[in-house]
Amino acid sequence: MSWLSDHILSLVIFLPVVGAAILFVFASWDAVLVRRWALGVSLLTLLLAVMASVLFVQERAQNTSKSDYCLVEKMNWVGGDDDTGARAVKVQYKLGVDGISLPLVVLTAFLTPLAIWGSFTGIQTRHREYYALMLLLLGAMLGVFCARDLLLFYIFFEFTLIPLYFLIGIWGGSQRQKAANMFFIYTLTGSLLTFAGVIYLGWKASICGATGHVFTFDLDELYGLASAGALSSTEQWWLFVAFFAGFAIKVPLFPFHTWLPLAHVEAPTAGSVILAAILLKLGTYGFLRLSLPMLPGATIELAPAIGMLAVIGIIYGAVAAWVQSDVKKLVAYSSVSHLGFCLLGMFCLKMAGLTGSLLYMINHGLSTGALFLIVGMIYERYHTREMSEIGGLARKMPIMAFFLIVFTMSSIGLPGLNGFVSEFLVLLGTFISATEINSKPGPLGIWYAVPAASGILLGAIYMLHMVRRVLFGPVKEPAHGFDGSAGLTQDLTKREIGILAPIALCCLFLGVYPKPVMQVMEPDLARGLNHVVWETVAEADDPETTGGLDSRRAAITDRPGERLSRPPVYDLKEPIRPTGQPSRLPSHLASANGGDE
Amino acid sequence: MELKTLAIWIPLLPLIGAALVGLIGLRWLKDRSHWLVLIGVGLSLVFALLLFQQVRQDAADVDLSAASIVLYEWIDAGEGSWLNVSVRTDPLTCVMLFTVLSVSLMVVVYSVGYMRDHHGHAERGYERFFAFLGLFVFSMCMLVLAGNFLLLYLGWELVGLSSYLLIGFYYEKPSAAAAAKKAFLVNRIGDFGFGLGIFLIYLTFGTLDYAAVFSMVEAGADATGEVLSTGRITTIALLLFCGAMGKSAQLPLHVWLPDAMEGPTPVSALIHAATMVTAGVYMVARCCVIFAASPVAMWIVGSIGAATALFAATIALTQFDMKRILAYSTLSQLGYMFLGLGVGAFDSAIFHLYTHAFFKACLFLGAGSVMHAMAGEIDIRRFSGLKRGMPITYWTFLIAGLALAGFPLLSAFWSKDEIIHAALAGPMWWLGWIGLLTALLTAFYTFRMIFVAFHGEERLPKGVEHAHESGRWMTVPLMVLAVGAVFAGYVGVTLFETSGFLWLFEPEGAFHEFLAPVFAEAVAAPVAHEAEAHGSHWLMWLSAGLAAFGIYTAWFFYRRRPTIPMAIALASGSIYRLFYNKYYVDELYELALVRPLRRFGDFCHGVDRFVINGILWIVAGVPKAIGFGLKGWQQQGALQGYALGMLIGLLVIVWWVLTNA
Repeated sequence: MSWLSDHILSLVIFLPVVGAAILFVFASWDAVLVRRWALGVSLLTLLLAVMASVLFVQERAQNTSKSDYCLVEKMNWVGGDDDTGARAVKVQYKLGVDGISLPLVVLTAFLTPLAIWGSFTGIQTRHREYYALMLLLLGAMLGVFCARDLLLFYIFFEFTLIPLYFLIGIWGGSQRQKAANMFFIYTLTGSLLTFAGVIYLGWKASICGATGHVFTFDLDELYGLASAGALSSTEQWWLFVAFFAGFAIKVPLFPFHTWLPLAHVEAPTAGSVILAAILLKLGTYGFLRLSLPMLPGATIELAPAIGMLAVIGIIYGAVAAWVQSDVKKLVAYSSVSHLGFCLLGMFCLKMAGLTGSLLYMINHGLSTGALFLIVGMIYERYHTREMSEIGGLARKMPIMAFFLIVFTMSSIGLPGLNGFVSEFLVLLGTFISATEINSKPGPLGIWYAVPAASGILLGAIYMLHMVRRVLFGPVKEPAHGFDGSAGLTQDLTKREIGILAPIALCCLFLGVYPKPVMQVMEPDLARGLNHVVWETVAEADDPETTGGLDSRRAAITDRPGERLSRPPVYDLKEPIRPTGQPSRLPSHLASANGGDE
Repeated sequence: MELKTLAIWIPLLPLIGAALVGLIGLRWLKDRSHWLVLIGVGLSLVFALLLFQQVRQDAADVDLSAASIVLYEWIDAGEGSWLNVSVRTDPLTCVMLFTVLSVSLMVVVYSVGYMRDHHGHAERGYERFFAFLGLFVFSMCMLVLAGNFLLLYLGWELVGLSSYLLIGFYYEKPSAAAAAKKAFLVNRIGDFGFGLGIFLIYLTFGTLDYAAVFSMVEAGADATGEVLSTGRITTIALLLFCGAMGKSAQLPLHVWLPDAMEGPTPVSALIHAATMVTAGVYMVARCCVIFAASPVAMWIVGSIGAATALFAATIALTQFDMKRILAYSTLSQLGYMFLGLGVGAFDSAIFHLYTHAFFKACLFLGAGSVMHAMAGEIDIRRFSGLKRGMPITYWTFLIAGLALAGFPLLSAFWSKDEIIHAALAGPMWWLGWIGLLTALLTAFYTFRMIFVAFHGEERLPKGVEHAHESGRWMTVPLMVLAVGAVFAGYVGVTLFETSGFLWLFEPEGAFHEFLAPVFAEAVAAPVAHEAEAHGSHWLMWLSAGLAAFGIYTAWFFYRRRPTIPMAIALASGSIYRLFYNKYYVDELYELALVRPLRRFGDFCHGVDRFVINGILWIVAGVPKAIGFGLKGWQQQGALQGYALGMLIGLLVIVWWVLTNA
């Protein structure tokens, strides 16, 4: 493999970080140069992310990587393999992408330059710091999606808070400090519990691991714990709750969402865009990457509860959005509703639902990100977002009206645009969750799907209400009128069209022909689902106990027979294990016993 | 050309036209924007005719169970079970395509004249109008060409979007903006059910492909081979019908259609009369196998259809806005179609859909011509005697009005009679009598409008000096459609039967024969209406008589004794008000749905602000309170205090280490 494919992910992550550092160093740069630099660096990051995708597709096609993910980069960071028998700690700098993380990496790299470009007129103070923080944030977000070590994941995950805290606190609206504090403390509180879970998992790996009591956070090893029966159902339950605390607040799942409207309303436009489009996805990604595969038993057990909260969130967020008078708050509440769909699809544990859920992350990022951009564009012109103060803007800003309607339609799931594909799949997956159709039965079912489907009606209600108020009717402007002091024209400028048009094209493409993206996602989603479905079938069928177990594993499991029986392997394009015959041992145990069986 | 190629280009051409107009219309095409859409729709129509030709040739060996042509794989529902973009080209699709595209072409031509002022300058938004029209034609073609339920839903929603955009074309008018929103939302209520129906189909059959689903229904088995329960199939049918009620504006989801008249008149003619609103009828006919398998669903479809037919006709009696009268008449005619579907006369319902498209489009465009001449005034109390000033509009309006009234030998006479006849012959015979009563009302309200607006002495609204005929762009489509209103019905009758009506005609003609394979499975099952087709000439005479009587009454009331209607209105007081206020359905919705939902929204927002944030405040208050309580001795600055703290901490650690050693 080439040097590039070995290091591309590090490049993707650290290019923006270096870019930010340079901004901090060169204090003399003027605003124009700073803007160009930030945009250039972020565009270069996008280029690298696209290259990474190409390399990913190549690597997967050649199947050169032995693991489930590609473009691996591995380095010992803290501790290491020099095992002296004591409980050494092994934290790795380990990166890699698979079909789950790659789309999110590309989404992040795609939207951040647009958000930066969108800040050119909106940000009038402290340019250097602002753009440096944006670039730092970009690097941290990319790091979350690329990390293959739990501790590294957690570090990136937490690090994203810092730039956004300052972005909201410095460049936000009138209540920016309250919003920034609330956002920071709220999410930090949750993720500290997650951290406890992380440490516990590492410790658990050290007592059950075959590699000699190493305190490891390698995801590959942690994935094996549950299927090896190393985690009792009580442990899984508590770990799940610990992860839930961090991720559910981040998502945000009802009733942990109250920080979101405030943070959105106060954040500068680009902050809102990044927050809605990507940072919320850290929560859903966390569930998908960590909770589902690592804690399958608890996932099955708690899925109905999460499904219920998701359904409540869908309806609650939608009706709450409807009564808002501030456009930005309306869009913020719509996120609560949309992310409910996202989690519902994930926890229905069907391929359709999981695919829909992952697509939903991307589609919500595109459409809601674009909606926040448009709201920002209106705000820059009129310095208000109150629907009672503006109206009939279709007459004054026809191009803006066009884009607003496109993204509204995408947001309310109009077929032919991206939102429909994911919403349909999520609902379909939930609907067929309890059946055998297409994959093994999941924990949800028709009674979650029916109330959730009312979201397609409620979504139309609040979005069209907003469109009607903002775009239609007689022209209504605030008394001070349109402000063109930052070089804005009445309707969108070329720069603004250049920001929105690529997003709109993506929406159209993903709505009409989502196949390429789905094909990237599916093998890995199926593999992730398999981790969970083993568990379901094991509990449902309770088949004959498999003999000849590793004695150590038998000792640490509470229900050995159930945990270790292997259900029939899923009909995957790629087998779960390269050998085709599924290994009874998690990978780290297998390797301890002499390699690949 | 191959079927596949034709099926691709038919929807694509109008879309390309629309997209080009949207991109370059405002800057370069300006008031020539219509050409691209006109050419797109025209070519589409040619292709649709070619398709029709092909399908008719292949009719003998066409295999309907394998008629879907897959274009590409769209959405993966898990494990490689792709939901495709596939099209179905069977006789039903051909009929729909021909109807949709021919009316669309006429409406596009008409719009060229209509969307201009009297000096021939294009209205503002001219290019936008044609782009939306093109988008609509694309969507409607997708709807009727779809080979599976998912793509049907795509067309279904996209026509909804086009309708939304076109109703709100004059978006600065608050009433237009509200009507657009209302149309979309009421449709979404129906689509909620429709969507659930589609999910339930997938849940039951594991596929959304028409052919696969229908064959399983026919076999009475679901995806796993288990026997299909009647309850399940009824639920599916009724959920699908929810969508049809929304799209085709049947009770109680009809409220959006009269308001939709806020859109430009050509839009009302095309979308809200001839084509889009008939999508529900098309869908039920398409799913005839599913509906036919559930007597309960059929009963509900028929009853709702009949109820809507009568209900809308009574409202139409009292309205004064020409477009609204026509809108209620559309509701009523759609009710007939559902009545036909409900009694199992699927082919008759589609036949009525097809004839209705021409005469109703002609009536709407005629109303538009009047509106254009009257400077936007459409209230029939404000003008009269337009006959002399606008002869072409008058004669075409009259012909189409006669067709609507069910006058013998015009198109709707054949199609409406077939439906009523099928109803009378079946177990739900009483629906047929409702149909006959409605026919009488239809003739009356149609000619009430014609006599008041076109006859009598010439009276014009303020600001209009003389009634003038519209230009060529507008009158030619009127004439073409009037010809359609007269002759379109003859494809559905057998000519020159010696024993037939007037010794010449017999119901059921080439049209029905062409459609027969589509409905073969469904019609055979519940109702055999063909058996009694012969020997029912009394019904034809009766309905002809009713039409004539209705027209005569209208003449008597509004030309001979103009005081009578007012007297009746006064005498019938509350009933008249009930009709005039459209049975207060809108008010009912506002009270029963909108306000409670709004209150629920306020409630949720309040919960956020007070309950959840209140709990947070309390939770966050705990550490704060502890900190406050500890502040007294923890940070007093005295060294002893810190030393004590350190000591306690140290002891705890030592204890922990010792006990764990």
